[in-house]
Amino acid sequence: MSQNISVNTGRDHRNMSLSDEKIAIQVKNWDLYYGNSQALKNVTMDIPENRVTAFIGPSGCGKSTLLRCFNRMNDLIDIVRVEGKMHIHGQDMYAKEVDVAEIRRRIGMVFQKPNPFPKSIYENVAYGLRLQGVNNKSTLDDTVEWALQGAGLWNEVKDRLNENALGMSGGQQQRLCIARAIAIQPEVMLLDEPTSALDPISTLAIEELIFELKKDFTILIVTRNMQQAARVSDYTAFMYMGELIEYTDTDSLFTNPQTKRTEDYITGRYG
Amino acid sequence: MKTWMSKGEHWVWFSASAVSIAVVLVFGLLLMISARGLSHFWPHSIYEFKVEQATESAVYTAEIHNTRVRVFEDPQNPGVSLRENQILLKTANREIYGLDFRWIPENAITSKRLAEGLSVFERYEHGDMYAVIEAFEVNGERIDDLVLVKDRMRSQLAKSHQIRQELRHIERGLIGNINYQLEQLRFEQRRLEQRGQLTEQIIADFDADRARLNQEFSELETVRNELYNQLSQLGTVIVSLADGAERRLGLDHVVRFWQPNEMHLGEKTAFFFGSIKNFLLDDPRNANTEGGVFPAIVGTFTMVILMTLFVMPMGILAAIYMREYAKEGPVLKLVRISINNLAGVPSIVFGIFGLGFFVYVLGYNIDQMFYSHVLPNPTFGTPGLLWAALTMALLTLPVVIVSTDEGLSRIPRSLREGGLALGATKLEVILRIVLPMTTPAIMTGLILAIARAAGEVAPLMLVGVVKLVSELPVNANPPFVHLDQKFMHLGFHIFDAGFQSPNVEAAQPLVYATSLLLVLVIVTLNLGAIMIRNRLREKYKSLEH
Repeated sequence: MSQNISVNTGRDHRNMSLSDEKIAIQVKNWDLYYGNSQALKNVTMDIPENRVTAFIGPSGCGKSTLLRCFNRMNDLIDIVRVEGKMHIHGQDMYAKEVDVAEIRRRIGMVFQKPNPFPKSIYENVAYGLRLQGVNNKSTLDDTVEWALQGAGLWNEVKDRLNENALGMSGGQQQRLCIARAIAIQPEVMLLDEPTSALDPISTLAIEELIFELKKDFTILIVTRNMQQAARVSDYTAFMYMGELIEYTDTDSLFTNPQTKRTEDYITGRYG
Repeated sequence: MKTWMSKGEHWVWFSASAVSIAVVLVFGLLLMISARGLSHFWPHSIYEFKVEQATESAVYTAEIHNTRVRVFEDPQNPGVSLRENQILLKTANREIYGLDFRWIPENAITSKRLAEGLSVFERYEHGDMYAVIEAFEVNGERIDDLVLVKDRMRSQLAKSHQIRQELRHIERGLIGNINYQLEQLRFEQRRLEQRGQLTEQIIADFDADRARLNQEFSELETVRNELYNQLSQLGTVIVSLADGAERRLGLDHVVRFWQPNEMHLGEKTAFFFGSIKNFLLDDPRNANTEGGVFPAIVGTFTMVILMTLFVMPMGILAAIYMREYAKEGPVLKLVRISINNLAGVPSIVFGIFGLGFFVYVLGYNIDQMFYSHVLPNPTFGTPGLLWAALTMALLTLPVVIVSTDEGLSRIPRSLREGGLALGATKLEVILRIVLPMTTPAIMTGLILAIARAAGEVAPLMLVGVVKLVSELPVNANPPFVHLDQKFMHLGFHIFDAGFQSPNVEAAQPLVYATSLLLVLVIVTLNLGAIMIRNRLREKYKSLEH
């Protein structure tokens, strides 16, 4: 892989428009409260399928919180309360009868800090399948290889699949986490600042990977790095103080911001 | 000096000296226990002492056991204190002197020389005998040649051990088994009687069974009597004591004999290890002051293993609930504080609880419900192995909970989220990710628990430990582990031999030896645990940032 990743990677941003896209996730009037303080205010947006959607904004703007709503990770925090509607392909994700584990299988997540399990590389990737009761050796072998290849890691680790994952470098660990997430073939991948703990070369590898992955997955990425958002995403949402300020195709947002706040942020005046 | 003070050097020195004092004390303790405990097994030289005192003048063959300085008031000049060096002699031959130890003033000893040709006889009763072998009589034939005598005695002793082993098998194994079956028959009959299902036919069957067992019993008894008869005909050794008096000693009373003054270093070393082996594998004799500690070792291990079976699941489950499921809040905080404090409750309190609740309430009711045919003989309504193990499990529960809880809290949140994000349920994350990573902490808790339980005595005295048992808690009769039985314990054995025995001096070396054994068992357990824990920690090291 030796693609030149820059603002203009050869993608044609100009012809992109949300109204033409197939929608994967719909968010309507979404509010989130931590106890008494409101962290997300009336967020409404449509996430397009097989596209990369980036969330940017200053620290504490609620972008990670919103991302964690998409696979109900916020359920784990007792004091969090949500209001509004969130649908994936028309299904209400927060309906009472919904199986949360099922939602999380359909919407995978990669975290800010690589968090491989203290098991072998192979078992890390196979973990999600084993959870689903898949124990057939050849199925597991095939999927592990496919996922590691998908994460661009296969050539580096194919000879040491049984070594402990904790012995890998940070960048490799993060790609392993991506492999682990795609092994169960989710519909959507949530990436929460996936490169913030990595060096520039590993970062580049992950960005190239995101570019590859969007063929098969809908990708949502939170990043603090605006260049990264510009490089990898098709659509960008700018958030500020829990509100969705501007959400449009990446080119328009960076070249022609509609609000003063967006402009201030992308030109580095605050944040 | 001033800069030295201002740098805080003096505090460093204070703390360093505190550490060295602690180290010296610990090693001093271990050294003392080891020296005293191990020297018991060494064949010490035996001397002949001529003693001249105002009250007596006598000759003793004895081993120097201890020395002391006695300070006493001069009877002629009141107010003036005199000092006198005294030696504790082990004269053995208890049935002759009345005592086998005596303190002699050092200056009363007029001569001391190695006792030539002296033999030490370890006996099944009355302790050791120190005497010189003169001759050996067997089957009416008298042997005077000392070399022949010793050879013949050795072969007869080997025979004696064989006979005793057979006797043991018959008495403990076969007769024990018959008694067990008779007992079961009696209970069965009682039970049927209580239900009113006893018919003439059944009674006749029971009687037939009983008659058959009694028949077997009397056959065995004949064999047993024959063996005892053989024992009494092993021969008699004729010995002379220090004062020249002759004595006859039946070989059936002798465990073994040796000539410490004629042994070279190699023989002494072999003897030393042989004695240690006997100590570990023999039953106690003479009110626990002699012999081995095998039943105590078995009892201690059985109790500890049972305790582990109870405390591990309880402790781990409790910790998982507190850390993973319970809501943080004042209630949980209170529970945590209580558990921490539970670890500090004096162990005797647990013993009283065990006696009051397990034995008198639970045990009583179990007997009423399931063993009513045995009443008024209690089965579980009396102290026993099960209740001791449960009491110890309660005692060590806080240790297991606290260390498991700490281990759980150290697993990073990100890993749990990683598992959940792959569609695992909370239970799956706990079972497949969190618990395996917590094993080092769980192991730590387990080891601390085992070390504590193995060393604890006070509560056990109330809930199941006894001075002497005729049967091990683990044996060949079903159900193999007898939860209702009383058992022996190393810690209690130390207490009993050291402070409850009629012959404290004689028991003293055994007390040290048992202490050493107990310390070694606990140290081994701890070291093993630390090694396992370190290995597991190494495996998960890179996760703990």
